[in-house]
Formats: sequence, structure tokens, C-alpha cells
Amino acid sequence: MRRLIALLLLLCLAPACLAQDDSLLQAVLAQLGRHPSVRAEFNQRRENPALAQPQVSRGQLLFVLGHGMLWQVREPYQESLALTGSRTARIGPDGTLRSVRGDRGVSQVSQMLQSLLAGKPDEALRQFQIEASGDLGQWRLHFVPRQSRMARVLSGIELDGGDYLDGIRIELASGERTDIRFADTRDAGTLSALEQRALGLP
Amino acid sequence: MSRAGVRASAFALAALAVVLLGAWLLFGRGGSPVQTDLLAMLPATERHPLAEVAVDRLAHADGDRMTLLVADADDDAAKDAARELGRTLERSGAFGSVIAELPPFDLNQFVAPYLPHRFMLLGDADRATLAQPGYDLPQALAQRLNEPFLAGVGTRLEDDPFGWLQHWLDQQPWSRSALVPEDDLLVAHRDGHSYVMVTAMLHGSAYDDAVQRRALGALAQAEQALRHAHPQADLVRAGAIFHAATARAGAERDVHVVGIASTVGIALLLLWVFRSAGALLLAFLSTAIGVAVAATVTVLAFGQMHLLTLVFGAALLGEAVDYSIQYLCARANAGERWQPLAGLRQVRPALLLALGTSLLGYALLGLLPFPALRQMACFAVSGLIAACLSVFCLLPALLTRPARPMSPALVRGALALQHASARLGRRRGGFALLGLLVLLAAPGWWRLGHDDDIRQLIDTPAEITRQENLVREVAGIGGGTQFFLVHGEGAEQVLEREEALEARLQAMVDAGTLQGWLGLAGMVPSHQRQAQDHALLAPLFADREALGRRLAKAGFKPAAVEAYLAAWPGTPLALEDWLKWPIATPFRHLWLGASAHGYGSIVLPQGGDDVPALHAAAAGLPGVELVDKPASVSALFGRYRAYAGLWLLGALVLIAPLFAWRYGLRGMPRVLAPPALGIAFSLAVLGYLGQPLTLFHGMALMLVLGVGANYAVFLREGEPHTAHRPGAAYAGVLLSAVTALLSFGLLAASSMPALRHFGLTLLLGIGFTALLAPLSLPRGERTP
Repeated sequence: MRRLIALLLLLCLAPACLAQDDSLLQAVLAQLGRHPSVRAEFNQRRENPALAQPQVSRGQLLFVLGHGMLWQVREPYQESLALTGSRTARIGPDGTLRSVRGDRGVSQVSQMLQSLLAGKPDEALRQFQIEASGDLGQWRLHFVPRQSRMARVLSGIELDGGDYLDGIRIELASGERTDIRFADTRDAGTLSALEQRALGLP
Repeated sequence: MSRAGVRASAFALAALAVVLLGAWLLFGRGGSPVQTDLLAMLPATERHPLAEVAVDRLAHADGDRMTLLVADADDDAAKDAARELGRTLERSGAFGSVIAELPPFDLNQFVAPYLPHRFMLLGDADRATLAQPGYDLPQALAQRLNEPFLAGVGTRLEDDPFGWLQHWLDQQPWSRSALVPEDDLLVAHRDGHSYVMVTAMLHGSAYDDAVQRRALGALAQAEQALRHAHPQADLVRAGAIFHAATARAGAERDVHVVGIASTVGIALLLLWVFRSAGALLLAFLSTAIGVAVAATVTVLAFGQMHLLTLVFGAALLGEAVDYSIQYLCARANAGERWQPLAGLRQVRPALLLALGTSLLGYALLGLLPFPALRQMACFAVSGLIAACLSVFCLLPALLTRPARPMSPALVRGALALQHASARLGRRRGGFALLGLLVLLAAPGWWRLGHDDDIRQLIDTPAEITRQENLVREVAGIGGGTQFFLVHGEGAEQVLEREEALEARLQAMVDAGTLQGWLGLAGMVPSHQRQAQDHALLAPLFADREALGRRLAKAGFKPAAVEAYLAAWPGTPLALEDWLKWPIATPFRHLWLGASAHGYGSIVLPQGGDDVPALHAAAAGLPGVELVDKPASVSALFGRYRAYAGLWLLGALVLIAPLFAWRYGLRGMPRVLAPPALGIAFSLAVLGYLGQPLTLFHGMALMLVLGVGANYAVFLREGEPHTAHRPGAAYAGVLLSAVTALLSFGLLAASSMPALRHFGLTLLLGIGFTALLAPLSLPRGERTP
């Protein structure tokens, strides 16, 4: 499921044109696609019915179009994850990559969306009803699962932003809610050797 | 009624009874007793008896179903087409069940059965981390709670705050499947196409003729409808049924072509030679009785008959008809002086000697622990005895009147050939000529090689292989031919042994030399493993208060903390319970259960055909062995092929005293020479053709020895009785040879490689032996 969102993010940044007759959606995707690699500070806040208080984590995101992303948590613990295509790897303190075995399994959703990474947004359209609102300066995309099986788990996903993606909100049927806000978003510039290796860049 | 008449009537009645019994056995009981499953005909090769059970189990798990993928670039079209296909197949009634649309299920229900066992099941990474000192509990908790984007799908946070159960579930085989549920269908997306799976369970075995016909008929109709409604859609299929159908179609074509061509050919030949339709009918009557009795005895003895036997039987016509031909020749040569019983006395020694040598050959074949060969031997022995008896009992009563002499053209031709061939047997020029022939043959012998790989004997059409490969790639169904058999004294021991094996396999996966593996211990760990995992967690739960405080500090509500702590220690997951869960359905066949030979299970390696590496993975582990059925059978074939040379020598040694007794020590080598040289020259030609020898070449050479010895005997025995018509005896032998070539030799055109090898060898062997047969005549009678 983690990958579902990762892929969605990729999708939204992909410059591909969607078959959906929605000019705003297309314009937003085209606008996001102008930045092939992006860095941002993230702040993730999670609410869950089992938790008395929300969980908050912070860190940095590096996103490279067509390759994947690095999710580096700084607080409240340190961890670097490389989410690329079909695999998730944990980057050790010494820079070694160790595969996190298995996918976010039971959902069976992750594999279904793999081809999205190859820049095929029709996958997302198959899975989600997408509604766009606002204008290019301040837009909002709302994703609702088409599959009832998925809808029983996932209520909806909302993306918002302007020139860049500003935030992701994920709501689960169980009542869990995850809010990710991005700040200080900028073009990534040159990648370090470790970043290139982790994302499988040449 | 004469004595001959009484004997003939009794024999006719007995034959009729056997034929009726045979007809009832073959056609009267519903369901054809003709077996097309090649596996059923292979010998037991595995050391451990459970391995044969496992081979059988896997063949059925794979064999009794049809896996179809509907592919289309347009996703909706693919899904619509798959739904329609499912409905059409379902309506046809030709299948036990058809699965296209999945029943609704709830993802959460999937996890619930595991919850009572959650403290017993650890993923590999968690096990390794927990075993090390200084496990960072707060960090594990924080990682789980702050997983990027979202958690909560799969296990709920309050049920699994540290994510241990989730990690274990992530490692289960269904988490790796390329097929995902979508719109209530199982779908894979690949290369811009949607592949939608439809599975159809057959109403019985894929090798059952009736089941096969109905299923394939229904599929063909459904496919036509599908093409009509969705012209772009493609149907990809996999299943043993398609192999079985191809094999059956090929074999049926062979039976028709070889059967009809040889029948028509033999009929025309006999009509030309004996210039009478009556003689022709009698020859066929005797042969038909032989084949009918052979089929009846075979079905009685084995319960069923394999297609190979049937095709071989169609070819056996050629040998069975020899006995009648000898009798008909004797009648034709006697002219006006013909007396049926005297004629019988005249041919009896030749027929009995010929029958004796053939039976010796086939009996040797039947001694092999190889069901297919035993069946053929049984078929041949009973058929030849019946055909020979019919000549003794039936023909004298039916052939009372004298006949016209044999076609003079044939006799003249035979005589010319006889003179040419007999030159080889002359003392002076003969040896030089023989030497020359041996020199010519030597490079052929030098080039002879062998190849026992049985996969070469199965001629799968490229299209079937292509579709199967596609299904394997897309759906991950089907796979290699090797598997691991794990066995032990109890279920627990089997699972522990599996774990030892799977640790090695996982290391191969991590190293990239293997794609994956499928085994039960990965889904239901042994009690020992579960206890170890539980023991790793026990220190964390030793101080419940502290753990509770830790969870509360992380943000969990008191009720959630309470419920989680109360769930400790939980119960172990038991194999017999798990096997009953719906999730176990696709994996149940991996458990062989209890038997007289202990408990057993199957572990499937996936996507690795490095057989030595797989062998190494099993090396040194007690109760674990790699089973590679094609390789074992190939090795067995190779052994038998090597023995075939010894059998030939053995058979020659057995026949030699028989001939020495009849023809004297000086005559024996002459009678033995035609078959022995025939075999030698056939081998040379095979070498020149670059055909590697297989067991089937060896079998054919056995037959060449049997049939070739017949020809030498017929000629040697017949010559004194046809002194008034030089060449007539050899004409009879040539007639036998040509009928044999028309039947056996036509197998060289078979669609089955095994039969093709068999036919070609016979073609060469019988041809050479027939040409060399005049060598058997004593020198005095050769010079005209």
C-alpha cells in the first residue's frame, strides 16, 4: 500500500497525458512533470483510532521521475528507504542497501500498480475515479477507489499543490488518516553517489 | 466333418468369444481404456517411494485443470471477454468448475485467523534482529507507526504494533503473485496488455478421452464466440490437456496412416502375388484374430492399453501376417498336388522355429521393469501365438482347393536377387565383397553416438510451448520439472527438514541464483521454529508493565494496550488446522501427508534451472532429495540402451544352439549371418544419418533379430520344397519382408519421435536382412 501512494505520487508528476476528459487534471500533471527531480522537506502526521495522540515524523524526500524516491526520516528516528519500482530497500548507516522482503502484502495492491512506474497513468485511472478542482495556481486532486474491494480499505486520497505538490492526505476506511505536507520544495540539482546508487541511476 | 473341420470350428468359436470379450472390454464399458498419459507408462525411477507419489500428485495438480488467460490491450475488453468466456465454459457443462469471477472477500478476514498465532510467527529479518543483543524496541515501534504514507492495510496497528505479523505475512507466497484481484477478476498487467485469468477444472483426468473431447469442444466453441465478440482479444492457454490432445491426435493419425497404408499396401501386394481375393481375406483373417486376441489379453492383463502399444500393434500386423503368407506360398507352390494337412506339416517347422525366435525376443523385452515395454511384449507374444495358431487350426480347413502359382514376375525377380545376394556367401569373391561392405560401414559405426534425453522424445508443438511459457511468465503458474521431496517420521520432522532446505534456497534467492521457492514450512513453521520465535519475544513480554508503559508512551490508547498484552502468549499454528483454511487451497497438494513410507511434502524451486545448484541445495540434508523425473527416466533409458547391446548378444547366444540343433554346427553361422549382418549395417546407416542411438533403436534392433532370423529360417526350410520352382521360397521371404516394411517401416513417418526411431531402424534392419537372407542357404543349393 505504501507503494500505491508512492506510485500515485509518481503518476501525478508524470508528464503523461491522461485519457480522462479533464483539462485541469492534464494541466496539473503537465505542470508537475516540468520538474523531473525534486527535493522537499516533509512532515507526516498520522491519526489512528488506536492511538491517543497523532504520530508525527519529519525528514527529507528526494523524488526522481521514472526512478523512484528516497524517503529519509530524521525525527523521531533515523531511517532511509529507497522506493524504486518493484522493490523497497532500507539504506544502512554504512550506505548498504538491504531489500525489505515482500511487498505490503495482503493488500495485493502494490504489484497491480507496478506498471505505473513505467509512466502508464491509465493504471491509476483504472483503479481510481479522479476529480480535479481549483486552478493551476492552487489545485486539488481527489482519488476514490473504483474497486469495492479496495474501497473497503481505502476511503480516498487527496493531493493538493500549485507549481509543486504541496501535500498528500490518505484516509482509510478504518479511520486512519495520514497527512503529508511538503515544504521548501525545489529542483534537486546533482544527486550524490549514494542517492544515484539507491535509486538505480546509471 | 473332417478332423481339420472340427479343429477349425472349435478355433473359430474360441476366437469369436475372445473377439467379443475384447470388444466389450474396449468399447462396452463406457470410457475408453486407451491411455495417453506418457507418465503412466514410465518406470518407477525414484529411490524413495514417496517421490513417485509426489510426481503423481504434482502431475494431477497441474494436469486436471486448464489455465486460460484472456489478453487484450484494452483493459475493459479483456475483462468483458474473460467474463463471457467464463460464463460460456460454465454453461457448456464440460467442466467440473470454472473460475473467472472471484467470490467477494474481505481483506481483513484474511488476517483474522493468524491473530491467535501472531507471537509464534516471525519474518526472517525480525528473527535475525531480535536474536541480536540490544533490540531497539522503541525504534521498531516508531518505524511501524510512522511508515511512509500509510500503515494499517493488512494487520491493524493495535493488533500488531511492532509489525511482526505484518512482516511475516509480507513474506508469504501470495504477496508475491503477479496476479491481483481487480473488478472481481484475477488480472496481471504486462507489456501494455491486460491478462485476465480463467481457470477451468476438468471433469476428470486430462488423459481421459471423453473428458478431453468435451472440454476441448467447449473451449473451441467459447473461443469462437470470443473471437467474434472481441476480435482483438487473444486466448493463451496452458494445461496437460493440450499436450494430451496433441499426443492423441498424433497417435490417432499414426494409427490411421500406418494402419490404413499398411493394410492397403499389403492387400494390393497379396492380390498381385497370389492373384486371388480369397487368399487375401484369409491372410487378413489370421492377422485380425492375432491383433484382436492381443488387444483383449493386454487389456485383461493391464486393465488398459497405452496408445504406444496401439500404434505398435498396428505395426505388428506386418509380422503376424508372415505365418499366413508362408502357408499361402506353400499352397501356391504345390499347385495341383496341394493337400492342406500335408502343406501344414511342410511349413510347421519353419513357423514354429520363427515363432520361437520371435517369442524369445519379445519375452526378453517383457522382462524389463518398464510398463510400456511390458505391454508391448504382452501384446506381441499373445498376438503372434494367436496368429500362428490360426494358421495351424483355421487355414487348412478353409484352403482345401489348389491355388494358382505365385506371380511369375515376383519369382523371377526374387531369383535374380537371390543370385546376386548369394555371391556374398561364396568363398572367394564373397569374402572380398563382405570386406568391402565392412569397410564402407566402418565410418558409420565410428560416428554412432547416443542421446537418452527423454525430452527429445516428446515432440511438443512450438505453439503450445510458447503459450505455456507466457502463462508461466504472466501468472507464475506451472514451472520446472524438478522439485524437492522432504520426508520424515512425522509432520514436525518434515517441517523442520523443510526449514533447513528453505534456508539454503532463500540464500540462493538473496544471491540472485534462484527466483523463489514454494514450500509449506514458509507458511506453517515447525513447532520447533514457532517455539524459538516465541522465545525471542518472551523477554519483551517478561515485564508486562514496562511494555504497556512503552506502548502507552508511543501513543496507544489504554484499551488497545490492554488487549494486546492480554493476547500474549497465544497458541502455535498447527499444520492440520492451517490446511483447512481457504488460503491453503492452492498449496494443499504440497503436503503428501502420512503414508506407509512416512510423512512427506514437496518444495518447489521457482525460476532456476541450474540443476547442479539445486542438487547442492539438497546435499547433506537428511530426508531431502531433489527429484528430477525426466533426468531419472533419461538415465534409466540410457542404462537400458546400453543393455540393449548385451541383450542382442544374449539373444544371439540363445538362438545359436537352436539353429545348431536344426542345421548343424556348419549351417548355424549361415542362418545367423543375415540378421547379424542386417543389424550391423543398420547401425552403420544410423551412424551416417547422424542419428544418436536411443532405447527405441535398441528395441527395434531386437525385433530385427527376431524377424531377420525368421527370414533365414523360412528360406532355409522352404527351399527344399520348391526345388521345382527356383526362387519361389525367396519370393515368399521377400513378400514377408515387404509386408513388414509396409507396416513397421511406415512408423518412420510417425509423429512420435520414439516410434519414428523405431520405424526407421526396422526399415533399415528388415531391408538389409531380407536382402542378405540368401546367405543362409547351404552352398550346394545356391548354384543353379
